[in-house]
Amino acid sequence: MGLIVVLLFAWMLVIAFLAFLACTFEDLESDIGSQSNPNSQVQLAAQIGQVNRFFNKAISGEPLSNAMYCATAGTIAWLLLLKLEPLVPGEEWKAAVLAIPIGVAVAAAINIIFSMSSHCGRTAAQKRFEQPIYLDVLYGHLLPIATHAFMTTFFITCIAYIQCNLGTLSGNPALNHPFALPLLGFIWGITVGAIGSSTGDVHYGAEREFQDRPFGEGKRVVYHGKITRYAGCGVRTQRDIAGFCAKFGGPITGMTFGLIILFENWRSLVGMQLGGYLPNLAASAGNSAVTWAIVMGLIIVIALAVVNYVFVRWVRKKCGPFVGV
Amino acid sequence: MTVTPAVVEEEPTKKGLSFKLPLDETEMGLIAGIVAAIVVVFTGLPAVIKGIALILAFLWGMDSVRKTSKYGLGTGVPSIGVLATGFGVVGALVGLALAKYGSIEGVAYPAVLVGVILMGVIGLVAGILSNHEKVIAMKIPKLERAMMELGMAGTLIILLECSIVTGSLNFNAVVNQVLNTGLIALMFIFTCFGLLHPYNACLGPDENRERTRMCSVEIVGLLCALLGFVMIILSSFSWELGSIASVTISSPWKLWNGVSLLIFGLAVWAYFFRMFIKACMDEAYETVGTGMIKTIE
Repeated sequence: MGLIVVLLFAWMLVIAFLAFLACTFEDLESDIGSQSNPNSQVQLAAQIGQVNRFFNKAISGEPLSNAMYCATAGTIAWLLLLKLEPLVPGEEWKAAVLAIPIGVAVAAAINIIFSMSSHCGRTAAQKRFEQPIYLDVLYGHLLPIATHAFMTTFFITCIAYIQCNLGTLSGNPALNHPFALPLLGFIWGITVGAIGSSTGDVHYGAEREFQDRPFGEGKRVVYHGKITRYAGCGVRTQRDIAGFCAKFGGPITGMTFGLIILFENWRSLVGMQLGGYLPNLAASAGNSAVTWAIVMGLIIVIALAVVNYVFVRWVRKKCGPFVGV
Repeated sequence: MTVTPAVVEEEPTKKGLSFKLPLDETEMGLIAGIVAAIVVVFTGLPAVIKGIALILAFLWGMDSVRKTSKYGLGTGVPSIGVLATGFGVVGALVGLALAKYGSIEGVAYPAVLVGVILMGVIGLVAGILSNHEKVIAMKIPKLERAMMELGMAGTLIILLECSIVTGSLNFNAVVNQVLNTGLIALMFIFTCFGLLHPYNACLGPDENRERTRMCSVEIVGLLCALLGFVMIILSSFSWELGSIASVTISSPWKLWNGVSLLIFGLAVWAYFFRMFIKACMDEAYETVGTGMIKTIE
């Protein structure tokens, strides 16, 4: 059976969409638990006397922790697929429908364990700053965190599964990814965590923490830890931060990741198509396909740089001037 | 408001080795290193014994991470854990490549320890270079020893995990069953977390070593449970993945090894997780159901 190029493009779009959803939830998960960058404020708050009701989820940085959830989910799903696929010959998707959610559920359970140990451990280590462990904060945040992590891990495992079977799905098994499912989950987990950390935290901070400060002021030491204290109404917890960030910070992070995946795959596929590699996987067309892909990539990078420049200029003109310039 | 130093030096411990419980860092390192090295060499042992050696090796590695990071690394703790695992993977591959020399197939592989020693030397050199006046001059106390221990503990841990899953340290068997299947991703990331998470999770001025050790054991329990599950599923497959010829060397009790390791891991995890959370709640400033935050001006 020949390769159906349209299907290949369609699956690429599905992967980009799943990546968008995955990174959206990833960012919200780290916002609820104050992981990575926002965590420094939570950690600092108690030390400068600001006892708070925040959840201190210090499971290393986001790339590593997401790599752990996704590698675990990928491993469990892969093991179950090994067992279940021979039971339904010809209809392997049935095995995947069962295996992937079970693997992801295990990963979410592990997430709960690690969240709980890091919150309790870090709070206990702040004894001299009189920071108590609030049990309602502990139990109240575990499920929202685990649910968001479930969504992230689920989408990432789906992407890894699609990649593993991409060739089979679009007509030529030679295009199946050479890496095993756990390894793909690991790599994708690191990627989704890295994007969530680099893009998401900026919005968490800029939107929520220092909204009433002048544009571009930077973060003065005197404000440190203040964000953990009071919300618009009452004492602040992180569940309202998730609701807030879901309106802009989360989707924008998801869009970043989705666009990266979209552009990256799109340029390789278009390069393959233009170079004449695609319909029959002609090995002789490899070099021209790579050349076309690199040229497409350069065009995309230049276009993005120009758009960024124009946009930032417009924003500075509209919302500026910067304080202290 | 009083400002307290972020790191409080521990009071000087007793001189010499006494081997009284709780073990101090040097004694822990000695015991863990020797036991783990013996268990690594004899791959025919039951998985539960390898699991116990794994716990000891993780405790040793956790102590080295703690020693390195205590000097004031805040966000750097995870990177030290990953560094140790990186050392471990490289050392394990070196050890596996040499494993066939002087081995009794399926029973003992003494040559893998060359990888452990090599990583110890590389870690020592890295530590000396980082601390040396003329090179990087970080001047972190005890860094040389901590880096050496990180390399050795990391290598022992990765070798033990490979030995648990494959039941041997034959290079082809490990490549087939651990690297080609992608299980190395799970091992890598859980080794990272077993090493970095305990100190990272307990970080703070009132951190204490006993609590941190409980957290470490708890994570190894989780890892053992996962590896047990892996063994149960994989026990029913013969290994013909890839182009390498089928390798069927495995411990004869693979299924029962898997089941026992799963039960052992879950029991260890449940016991130590409960103990850790209880210790945290007891030793925290206060554990309350709910409450308002303290008003400050």
